[in-house]
Amino acid sequence: MSAETSTTVYSGLGASPGRASGKAYVIRNAEDIMAVPAGSILVVRILHPHLAPLLPRVAGLVVEEGAILQHATTLAREFGIPAAVGIRDARSLFQDGDLLEVDGYTGKVIERHID
Amino acid sequence: MLDEVKQVGNMAQAAARSAQPYRRHIVGLPLQRSLFRQVARAATTIGLPGLTSEPDFPARLDENGDLFLDRSQVAVLTKALRSWFTPETLEFMHTTHAAACDALVDASENAARAATSLDGAARKLSEDLANRMALVLAYGILSKFVPDVLLRALADAGDVEPPPFPETSAGAELMRNTFALYEACCVLNYTPQRLQREWPGVPAEVFQLVSEFCNRQTGFGPLAWDAPGYEDPNYVVRLLHSAFSEVDAEQVRRRLSFAKRPAVARSTIDVPAKIAVLRRVLGFWLDFMERETWYVRRAFYLGMIPLLQQLAAGYRQKIPAFQLADLLFLDIRELAAGIADPAVIHTRRHRYMENTEYLSVHGVDSSRLATILGSS
Repeated sequence: MSAETSTTVYSGLGASPGRASGKAYVIRNAEDIMAVPAGSILVVRILHPHLAPLLPRVAGLVVEEGAILQHATTLAREFGIPAAVGIRDARSLFQDGDLLEVDGYTGKVIERHID
Repeated sequence: MLDEVKQVGNMAQAAARSAQPYRRHIVGLPLQRSLFRQVARAATTIGLPGLTSEPDFPARLDENGDLFLDRSQVAVLTKALRSWFTPETLEFMHTTHAAACDALVDASENAARAATSLDGAARKLSEDLANRMALVLAYGILSKFVPDVLLRALADAGDVEPPPFPETSAGAELMRNTFALYEACCVLNYTPQRLQREWPGVPAEVFQLVSEFCNRQTGFGPLAWDAPGYEDPNYVVRLLHSAFSEVDAEQVRRRLSFAKRPAVARSTIDVPAKIAVLRRVLGFWLDFMERETWYVRRAFYLGMIPLLQQLAAGYRQKIPAFQLADLLFLDIRELAAGIADPAVIHTRRHRYMENTEYLSVHGVDSSRLATILGSS
Protein backbone atom coordinates (compact mmCIF):
# COMPACT_ATOMS: atom_id res chain seq x y z
CA MET A 1 0.00 0.00 0.00
CA SER A 2 1.59 3.26 -1.12
CA ALA A 3 1.45 6.42 0.96
CA GLU A 4 -1.06 9.10 -0.07
CA THR A 5 0.35 12.55 -0.75
CA SER A 6 -1.21 15.95 -0.68
CA THR A 7 0.31 19.26 -1.67
CA THR A 8 0.22 22.89 -0.67
CA VAL A 9 1.22 25.50 -3.23
CA TYR A 10 2.76 28.84 -2.29
CA SER A 11 3.14 31.60 -4.86
CA GLY A 12 5.99 34.04 -5.11
CA LEU A 13 8.08 35.40 -7.96
CA GLY A 14 10.28 33.34 -10.22
CA ALA A 15 13.77 34.77 -9.70
CA SER A 16 16.02 32.23 -11.39
CA PRO A 17 14.80 29.71 -13.94
CA GLY A 18 14.75 25.94 -13.48
CA ARG A 19 13.01 23.42 -11.26
CA ALA A 20 14.37 21.64 -8.21
CA SER A 21 13.10 19.42 -5.45
CA GLY A 22 14.54 18.35 -2.14
CA LYS A 23 14.27 18.64 1.60
CA ALA A 24 13.91 22.08 3.13
CA TYR A 25 16.71 23.49 5.25
CA VAL A 26 15.73 26.68 7.05
CA ILE A 27 18.27 29.37 8.02
CA ARG A 28 17.07 31.05 11.20
CA ASN A 29 20.30 32.18 12.79
CA ALA A 30 24.02 32.53 12.12
CA GLU A 31 24.82 29.04 13.35
CA ASP A 32 22.47 27.38 10.86
CA ILE A 33 24.71 28.22 7.92
CA MET A 34 27.36 25.91 9.30
CA ALA A 35 25.37 22.74 8.63
CA VAL A 36 23.62 23.04 5.26
CA PRO A 37 22.82 19.53 3.92
CA ALA A 38 23.90 18.84 0.34
CA GLY A 39 21.01 18.83 -2.13
CA SER A 40 18.68 20.74 0.15
CA ILE A 41 16.24 23.51 -0.68
CA LEU A 42 17.59 26.48 1.22
CA VAL A 43 14.90 28.61 2.90
CA VAL A 44 16.12 32.07 3.92
CA ARG A 45 14.81 35.52 4.72
CA ILE A 46 17.32 37.11 2.40
CA LEU A 47 20.39 35.69 0.70
CA HIS A 48 23.38 37.87 1.44
CA PRO A 49 26.49 37.67 -0.77
CA HIS A 50 28.56 36.19 2.06
CA LEU A 51 26.46 33.03 1.81
CA ALA A 52 27.42 32.50 -1.85
CA PRO A 53 29.91 29.69 -1.11
CA LEU A 54 27.04 27.58 0.19
CA LEU A 55 25.10 27.76 -3.07
CA PRO A 56 26.83 25.04 -5.09
CA ARG A 57 25.64 22.47 -2.55
CA VAL A 58 21.96 23.46 -2.61
CA ALA A 59 19.37 22.38 -5.16
CA GLY A 60 17.04 25.34 -4.91
CA LEU A 61 16.24 28.53 -3.07
CA VAL A 62 13.14 29.84 -1.32
CA VAL A 63 13.44 33.46 -0.18
CA GLU A 64 11.10 35.56 1.94
CA GLU A 65 12.29 38.91 0.60
CA GLY A 66 9.77 40.07 -1.97
CA ALA A 67 11.54 42.07 -4.65
CA ILE A 68 12.97 40.61 -7.85
CA LEU A 69 15.97 42.93 -7.70
CA GLN A 70 17.83 41.46 -4.77
CA HIS A 71 20.88 39.44 -3.78
CA ALA A 72 19.17 36.07 -4.20
CA THR A 73 18.18 36.80 -7.80
CA THR A 74 21.67 37.90 -8.73
CA LEU A 75 23.40 34.94 -7.10
CA ALA A 76 20.92 32.24 -8.09
CA ARG A 77 21.05 33.35 -11.73
CA GLU A 78 24.82 33.36 -11.69
CA PHE A 79 24.99 29.81 -10.39
CA GLY A 80 21.97 28.45 -12.27
CA ILE A 81 20.00 27.59 -9.13
CA PRO A 82 16.19 27.65 -9.35
CA ALA A 83 14.83 30.26 -6.98
CA ALA A 84 11.47 31.57 -5.84
CA VAL A 85 11.39 34.87 -3.97
CA GLY A 86 8.63 36.66 -2.11
CA ILE A 87 7.40 33.57 -0.23
CA ARG A 88 6.23 35.45 2.82
CA ASP A 89 6.98 33.88 6.20
CA ALA A 90 8.70 30.96 4.46
CA ARG A 91 10.82 30.31 7.53
CA SER A 92 7.65 29.83 9.56
CA LEU A 93 5.81 27.88 6.88
CA PHE A 94 8.53 25.29 6.38
CA GLN A 95 10.49 23.08 8.73
CA ASP A 96 13.77 21.28 8.12
CA GLY A 97 13.09 18.10 6.14
CA ASP A 98 9.82 19.22 4.51
CA LEU A 99 9.63 18.04 0.90
CA LEU A 100 9.64 21.06 -1.41
CA GLU A 101 9.59 21.66 -5.13
CA VAL A 102 10.75 25.02 -6.42
CA ASP A 103 9.68 26.34 -9.80
CA GLY A 104 12.04 29.17 -10.63
CA TYR A 105 10.05 30.05 -13.76
CA THR A 106 6.74 30.74 -12.04
CA GLY A 107 7.84 31.40 -8.46
CA LYS A 108 5.68 28.58 -7.12
CA VAL A 109 6.81 26.43 -4.21
CA ILE A 110 5.02 23.12 -3.74
CA GLU A 111 5.12 21.41 -0.37
CA ARG A 112 4.39 17.70 -0.50
CA HIS A 113 2.85 16.04 2.52
CA ILE A 114 3.02 12.29 2.90
CA ASP A 115 -0.17 11.31 4.70
CA MET B 1 5.83 66.79 -7.87
CA LEU B 2 6.69 69.27 -5.14
CA ASP B 3 3.31 68.60 -3.54
CA GLU B 4 4.20 64.95 -3.42
CA VAL B 5 7.55 65.72 -1.91
CA LYS B 6 5.93 67.94 0.69
CA GLN B 7 3.72 65.06 1.67
CA VAL B 8 6.82 63.20 2.69
CA GLY B 9 6.76 65.89 5.35
CA ASN B 10 7.39 64.94 8.91
CA MET B 11 8.82 61.50 8.64
CA ALA B 12 9.43 61.23 12.36
CA GLN B 13 5.70 61.13 12.97
CA ALA B 14 5.22 58.74 10.08
CA ALA B 15 7.92 56.43 11.35
CA ALA B 16 6.41 56.45 14.81
CA ARG B 17 3.15 55.23 13.32
CA SER B 18 4.77 52.16 11.80
CA ALA B 19 4.63 49.77 14.71
CA GLN B 20 5.97 46.69 12.94
CA PRO B 21 9.70 46.54 12.22
CA TYR B 22 10.71 46.34 8.58
CA ARG B 23 13.69 44.21 9.65
CA ARG B 24 14.31 42.81 13.10
CA HIS B 25 17.66 42.58 14.84
CA ILE B 26 19.72 44.14 12.09
CA VAL B 27 22.21 46.15 14.16
CA GLY B 28 22.68 46.00 17.92
CA LEU B 29 25.98 47.64 18.83
CA PRO B 30 25.43 51.29 19.82
CA LEU B 31 28.50 52.47 17.87
CA GLN B 32 27.18 50.93 14.65
CA ARG B 33 23.61 51.99 15.36
CA SER B 34 24.73 55.60 15.66
CA LEU B 35 25.94 55.51 12.05
CA PHE B 36 22.38 55.11 10.84
CA ARG B 37 21.61 58.76 11.51
CA GLN B 38 22.29 59.64 7.86
CA VAL B 39 19.49 57.28 6.87
CA ALA B 40 17.02 59.93 8.00
CA ARG B 41 18.48 62.21 5.30
CA ALA B 42 18.61 59.55 2.62
CA ALA B 43 16.36 61.38 0.18
CA THR B 44 18.52 64.50 0.33
CA THR B 45 21.59 62.28 -0.01
CA ILE B 46 20.66 61.29 -3.54
CA GLY B 47 19.77 64.86 -4.45
CA LEU B 48 15.97 64.66 -4.45
CA PRO B 49 14.96 68.32 -4.34
CA GLY B 50 12.22 70.08 -2.44
CA LEU B 51 12.79 68.41 0.91
CA THR B 52 13.08 70.79 3.77
CA SER B 53 12.11 68.68 6.73
CA GLU B 54 14.50 66.58 8.71
CA PRO B 55 14.23 63.65 8.75
CA ASP B 56 13.31 63.41 5.08
CA PHE B 57 13.22 59.63 4.90
CA PRO B 58 10.92 57.41 6.98
CA ALA B 59 13.49 55.01 8.42
CA ARG B 60 14.94 54.63 11.90
CA LEU B 61 16.63 52.07 14.10
CA ASP B 62 15.38 51.47 17.61
CA GLU B 63 17.44 50.43 20.63
CA ASN B 64 16.85 46.73 19.94
CA GLY B 65 18.48 47.09 16.55
CA ASP B 66 15.17 46.80 14.69
CA LEU B 67 14.75 48.85 11.51
CA PHE B 68 11.46 50.67 11.03
CA LEU B 69 10.42 51.86 7.61
CA ASP B 70 7.09 53.47 6.90
CA ARG B 71 6.09 51.88 3.60
CA SER B 72 3.28 54.34 2.92
CA GLN B 73 5.74 57.22 3.10
CA VAL B 74 8.20 55.30 0.97
CA ALA B 75 5.45 54.98 -1.66
CA VAL B 76 5.04 58.77 -1.68
CA LEU B 77 8.78 59.21 -1.96
CA THR B 78 8.94 56.64 -4.76
CA LYS B 79 6.39 58.57 -6.77
CA ALA B 80 8.35 61.79 -6.27
CA LEU B 81 11.53 60.03 -7.31
CA ARG B 82 10.05 58.79 -10.58
CA SER B 83 8.96 62.27 -11.54
CA TRP B 84 12.44 63.56 -10.79
CA PHE B 85 14.37 61.20 -13.06
CA THR B 86 15.99 62.87 -16.07
CA PRO B 87 19.30 61.93 -17.70
CA GLU B 88 20.90 64.82 -15.78
CA THR B 89 19.52 63.93 -12.35
CA LEU B 90 20.32 60.25 -12.90
CA GLU B 91 23.86 61.20 -13.79
CA PHE B 92 24.12 63.30 -10.64
CA MET B 93 22.77 60.47 -8.47
CA HIS B 94 25.18 58.01 -10.06
CA THR B 95 28.22 60.25 -9.67
CA THR B 96 27.59 61.09 -6.02
CA HIS B 97 26.81 57.46 -5.21
CA ALA B 98 30.00 56.15 -6.81
CA ALA B 99 32.01 58.90 -5.11
CA ALA B 100 30.60 57.95 -1.69
CA CYS B 101 31.66 54.32 -2.19
CA ASP B 102 35.13 55.23 -3.44
CA ALA B 103 35.65 57.71 -0.62
CA LEU B 104 34.80 55.07 1.98
CA VAL B 105 37.27 52.61 0.48
CA ASP B 106 39.97 55.30 0.50
CA ALA B 107 39.15 56.38 4.05
CA SER B 108 39.28 52.77 5.27
CA GLU B 109 42.72 52.22 3.81
CA ASN B 110 43.90 55.60 5.01
CA ALA B 111 42.78 54.82 8.55
CA ALA B 112 44.45 51.42 8.42
CA ARG B 113 47.72 52.99 7.33
CA ALA B 114 47.65 55.86 9.80
CA ALA B 115 49.92 54.70 12.59
CA THR B 116 49.39 57.80 14.64
CA SER B 117 49.77 57.80 18.35
CA LEU B 118 48.08 61.16 18.62
CA ASP B 119 44.72 60.84 20.29
CA GLY B 120 43.29 63.88 18.50
CA ALA B 121 44.36 62.64 15.07
CA ALA B 122 42.85 59.19 15.66
CA ARG B 123 39.65 60.80 16.88
CA LYS B 124 39.39 62.96 13.77
CA LEU B 125 40.09 60.01 11.48
CA SER B 126 37.45 57.92 13.23
CA GLU B 127 34.87 60.68 12.85
CA ASP B 128 35.71 61.09 9.17
CA LEU B 129 35.52 57.36 8.56
CA ALA B 130 32.23 57.14 10.47
CA ASN B 131 30.72 59.95 8.37
CA ARG B 132 31.65 58.13 5.19
CA MET B 133 30.24 54.86 6.51
CA ALA B 134 27.02 56.63 7.47
CA LEU B 135 26.67 57.96 3.93
CA VAL B 136 27.10 54.53 2.35
CA LEU B 137 24.63 53.07 4.86
CA ALA B 138 22.08 55.61 3.65
CA TYR B 139 22.58 54.38 0.09
CA GLY B 140 22.17 50.86 1.46
CA ILE B 141 18.72 51.68 2.79
CA LEU B 142 17.85 53.44 -0.47
CA SER B 143 18.83 50.29 -2.35
CA LYS B 144 15.72 48.65 -0.89
CA PHE B 145 13.56 50.70 -3.25
CA VAL B 146 15.49 52.90 -5.70
CA PRO B 147 16.47 49.99 -8.02
CA ASP B 148 12.79 49.00 -8.30
CA VAL B 149 11.90 52.58 -9.23
CA LEU B 150 14.63 52.57 -11.87
CA LEU B 151 13.39 49.25 -13.26
CA ARG B 152 9.86 50.61 -13.56
CA ALA B 153 11.20 53.73 -15.24
CA LEU B 154 13.02 51.51 -17.73
CA ALA B 155 9.83 49.63 -18.50
CA ASP B 156 7.97 52.91 -18.95
CA ALA B 157 10.70 54.05 -21.35
CA GLY B 158 10.08 50.95 -23.47
CA ASP B 159 13.07 48.83 -22.45
CA VAL B 160 12.40 45.12 -22.93
CA GLU B 161 15.80 43.74 -21.93
CA PRO B 162 16.34 41.80 -18.68
CA PRO B 163 17.59 43.87 -15.73
CA PRO B 164 21.32 44.67 -15.95
CA PHE B 165 22.46 42.25 -13.26
CA PRO B 166 26.22 42.29 -12.66
CA GLU B 167 28.11 39.88 -14.91
CA THR B 168 30.21 38.81 -11.94
CA SER B 169 28.76 39.77 -8.61
CA ALA B 170 30.67 40.25 -5.39
CA GLY B 171 29.15 37.00 -4.12
CA ALA B 172 30.35 35.08 -7.18
CA GLU B 173 33.86 36.45 -6.71
CA LEU B 174 33.75 35.40 -3.08
CA MET B 175 32.53 31.94 -4.10
CA ARG B 176 35.44 31.50 -6.51
CA ASN B 177 37.99 32.67 -3.97
CA THR B 178 36.56 30.43 -1.24
CA PHE B 179 36.64 27.43 -3.57
CA ALA B 180 40.25 28.28 -4.46
CA LEU B 181 41.10 28.25 -0.75
CA TYR B 182 39.38 24.87 -0.39
CA GLU B 183 41.40 23.44 -3.29
CA ALA B 184 44.67 24.89 -1.97
CA CYS B 185 44.06 23.35 1.44
CA CYS B 186 43.20 20.00 -0.14
CA VAL B 187 46.51 20.05 -2.05
CA LEU B 188 48.17 20.26 1.35
CA ASN B 189 46.07 17.28 2.49
CA TYR B 190 43.76 19.43 4.55
CA THR B 191 40.22 18.50 3.68
CA PRO B 192 37.53 20.71 5.23
CA GLN B 193 36.90 18.03 7.85
CA ARG B 194 40.56 17.78 8.81
CA LEU B 195 41.01 21.53 8.78
CA GLN B 196 38.10 22.03 11.15
CA ARG B 197 39.23 19.19 13.39
CA GLU B 198 42.80 20.44 13.76
CA TRP B 199 42.40 24.23 13.51
CA PRO B 200 44.33 26.25 14.69
CA GLY B 201 46.96 23.55 15.25
CA VAL B 202 47.82 23.22 11.55
CA PRO B 203 51.13 23.62 9.67
CA ALA B 204 52.28 27.20 9.13
CA GLU B 205 51.63 26.96 5.39
CA VAL B 206 47.96 26.06 5.94
CA PHE B 207 47.57 28.65 8.66
CA GLN B 208 48.99 31.31 6.37
CA LEU B 209 46.67 30.33 3.52
CA VAL B 210 43.60 30.79 5.71
CA SER B 211 44.88 33.97 7.36
CA GLU B 212 45.71 35.64 4.06
CA PHE B 213 42.31 34.68 2.69
CA CYS B 214 40.68 36.30 5.73
CA ASN B 215 42.67 39.49 5.25
CA ARG B 216 41.67 39.72 1.60
CA GLN B 217 38.00 38.90 2.18
CA THR B 218 37.51 41.07 5.27
CA GLY B 219 34.25 42.92 4.72
CA PHE B 220 32.18 39.94 3.65
CA GLY B 221 29.81 38.89 6.36
CA PRO B 222 26.59 40.03 7.98
CA LEU B 223 25.71 43.71 8.25
CA ALA B 224 26.01 43.55 12.05
CA TRP B 225 29.68 43.97 12.93
CA ASP B 226 29.34 41.81 16.02
CA ALA B 227 28.26 38.79 13.95
CA PRO B 228 31.26 36.74 12.80
CA GLY B 229 32.33 37.04 9.18
CA TYR B 230 35.21 36.40 6.83
CA GLU B 231 37.67 38.42 8.91
CA ASP B 232 37.56 35.58 11.45
CA PRO B 233 39.60 32.43 10.59
CA ASN B 234 37.43 30.27 12.85
CA TYR B 235 34.36 31.36 10.88
CA VAL B 236 36.08 30.64 7.56
CA VAL B 237 37.25 27.20 8.63
CA ARG B 238 33.74 26.25 9.71
CA LEU B 239 32.25 27.71 6.54
CA LEU B 240 34.66 25.70 4.37
CA HIS B 241 33.42 22.59 6.13
CA SER B 242 29.78 23.55 5.66
CA ALA B 243 30.21 24.53 2.01
CA PHE B 244 32.45 21.79 0.66
CA SER B 245 32.19 18.67 2.80
CA GLU B 246 30.37 15.83 1.03
CA VAL B 247 30.16 17.84 -2.16
CA ASP B 248 31.42 16.73 -5.55
CA ALA B 249 34.12 19.21 -6.50
CA GLU B 250 33.17 18.74 -10.16
CA GLN B 251 29.65 19.90 -9.36
CA VAL B 252 31.09 23.04 -7.77
CA ARG B 253 33.24 23.66 -10.84
CA ARG B 254 30.17 23.30 -13.06
CA ARG B 255 28.37 25.91 -10.98
CA LEU B 256 31.37 28.20 -11.24
CA SER B 257 31.53 27.69 -15.01
CA PHE B 258 27.87 28.58 -15.19
CA ALA B 259 28.66 31.80 -13.37
CA LYS B 260 31.47 32.54 -15.82
CA ARG B 261 29.39 32.04 -18.96
CA PRO B 262 29.73 34.92 -21.41
CA ALA B 263 27.09 37.57 -21.09
CA VAL B 264 24.70 37.94 -23.99
CA ALA B 265 25.98 40.80 -26.06
CA ARG B 266 23.41 43.51 -26.36
CA SER B 267 23.43 46.06 -29.09
CA THR B 268 23.97 49.56 -27.80
CA ILE B 269 23.23 51.08 -31.18
CA ASP B 270 20.00 53.01 -31.37
CA VAL B 271 19.30 52.66 -27.65
CA PRO B 272 17.57 55.87 -26.59
CA ALA B 273 19.71 58.02 -24.31
CA LYS B 274 17.27 57.80 -21.42
CA ILE B 275 17.22 53.99 -21.52
CA ALA B 276 21.00 53.86 -21.78
CA VAL B 277 21.51 56.03 -18.72
CA LEU B 278 18.77 54.24 -16.76
CA ARG B 279 20.39 50.87 -17.48
CA ARG B 280 23.82 52.14 -16.50
CA VAL B 281 22.58 53.65 -13.24
CA LEU B 282 20.48 50.58 -12.39
CA GLY B 283 23.45 48.34 -13.17
CA PHE B 284 25.53 50.30 -10.67
CA TRP B 285 22.83 49.96 -7.98
CA LEU B 286 22.56 46.21 -8.59
CA ASP B 287 26.31 45.85 -8.21
CA PHE B 288 26.25 48.10 -5.14
CA MET B 289 23.56 45.94 -3.54
CA GLU B 290 26.03 43.05 -3.57
CA ARG B 291 28.76 45.17 -1.98
CA GLU B 292 26.94 47.55 0.35
CA THR B 293 27.63 45.49 3.45
CA TRP B 294 31.19 44.81 2.34
CA TYR B 295 31.99 48.54 2.13
CA VAL B 296 30.92 49.28 5.68
CA ARG B 297 32.04 46.07 7.33
CA ARG B 298 35.48 46.33 5.73
CA ALA B 299 35.72 49.96 6.83
CA PHE B 300 35.05 48.86 10.39
CA TYR B 301 37.48 45.94 10.51
CA LEU B 302 40.20 47.47 8.38
CA GLY B 303 40.03 51.10 9.42
CA MET B 304 37.95 51.67 12.53
CA ILE B 305 39.33 48.96 14.79
CA PRO B 306 42.95 50.20 14.66
CA LEU B 307 41.64 53.66 15.48
CA LEU B 308 39.61 52.34 18.42
CA GLN B 309 42.68 50.51 19.68
CA GLN B 310 44.61 53.77 19.62
CA LEU B 311 41.83 55.70 21.32
CA ALA B 312 41.44 53.14 24.09
CA ALA B 313 44.71 54.19 25.71
CA GLY B 314 43.40 57.72 26.30
CA TYR B 315 40.18 56.42 27.84
CA ARG B 316 42.10 54.09 30.16
CA GLN B 317 44.03 57.06 31.55
CA LYS B 318 40.76 58.73 32.50
CA ILE B 319 38.76 55.63 33.49
CA PRO B 320 40.93 52.92 35.09
CA ALA B 321 38.42 50.09 34.62
CA PHE B 322 37.83 50.99 30.98
CA GLN B 323 37.76 48.00 28.61
CA LEU B 324 38.52 48.17 24.91
CA ALA B 325 35.10 46.75 24.04
CA ASP B 326 33.47 49.63 25.94
CA LEU B 327 34.17 51.75 22.85
CA LEU B 328 31.58 49.72 20.94
CA PHE B 329 28.94 51.06 23.34
CA LEU B 330 29.63 54.71 22.57
CA ASP B 331 27.75 56.82 20.08
CA ILE B 332 30.05 58.03 17.28
CA ARG B 333 29.46 61.62 18.40
CA GLU B 334 30.59 60.70 21.91
CA LEU B 335 33.65 59.02 20.45
CA ALA B 336 34.47 62.08 18.36
CA ALA B 337 34.10 64.34 21.40
CA GLY B 338 36.07 62.08 23.74
CA ILE B 339 33.08 61.60 26.03
CA ALA B 340 32.66 58.35 27.97
CA ASP B 341 30.35 57.96 30.95
CA PRO B 342 30.99 54.59 32.63
CA ALA B 343 27.41 54.42 33.93
CA VAL B 344 25.97 54.99 30.46
CA ILE B 345 28.31 52.42 28.95
CA HIS B 346 27.33 49.94 31.64
CA THR B 347 23.63 50.45 30.97
CA ARG B 348 24.03 50.06 27.21
CA ARG B 349 26.19 46.98 27.54
CA HIS B 350 23.70 45.42 29.94
CA ARG B 351 20.83 46.09 27.56
CA TYR B 352 22.80 44.64 24.67
CA MET B 353 23.73 41.47 26.56
CA GLU B 354 20.14 41.00 27.69
CA ASN B 355 18.91 40.93 24.08
CA THR B 356 19.50 37.19 23.82
CA GLU B 357 17.37 36.79 20.71
CA TYR B 358 19.57 39.28 18.87
CA LEU B 359 22.75 37.60 20.12
CA SER B 360 21.49 34.19 19.05
CA VAL B 361 20.45 35.34 15.57
CA HIS B 362 23.91 36.80 15.00
CA GLY B 363 25.96 34.09 16.66
CA VAL B 364 27.45 36.44 19.25
CA ASP B 365 28.96 34.58 22.19
CA SER B 366 30.41 35.96 25.41
CA SER B 367 33.92 36.37 24.02
CA ARG B 368 32.90 37.85 20.70
CA LEU B 369 33.37 41.54 21.48
CA ALA B 370 36.90 41.01 22.74
CA THR B 371 37.61 38.90 19.64
CA ILE B 372 36.37 41.67 17.35
CA LEU B 373 38.69 44.25 18.82
CA GLY B 374 41.63 41.90 18.73
CA SER B 375 41.06 41.01 15.10
CA SER B 376 42.79 43.87 13.34
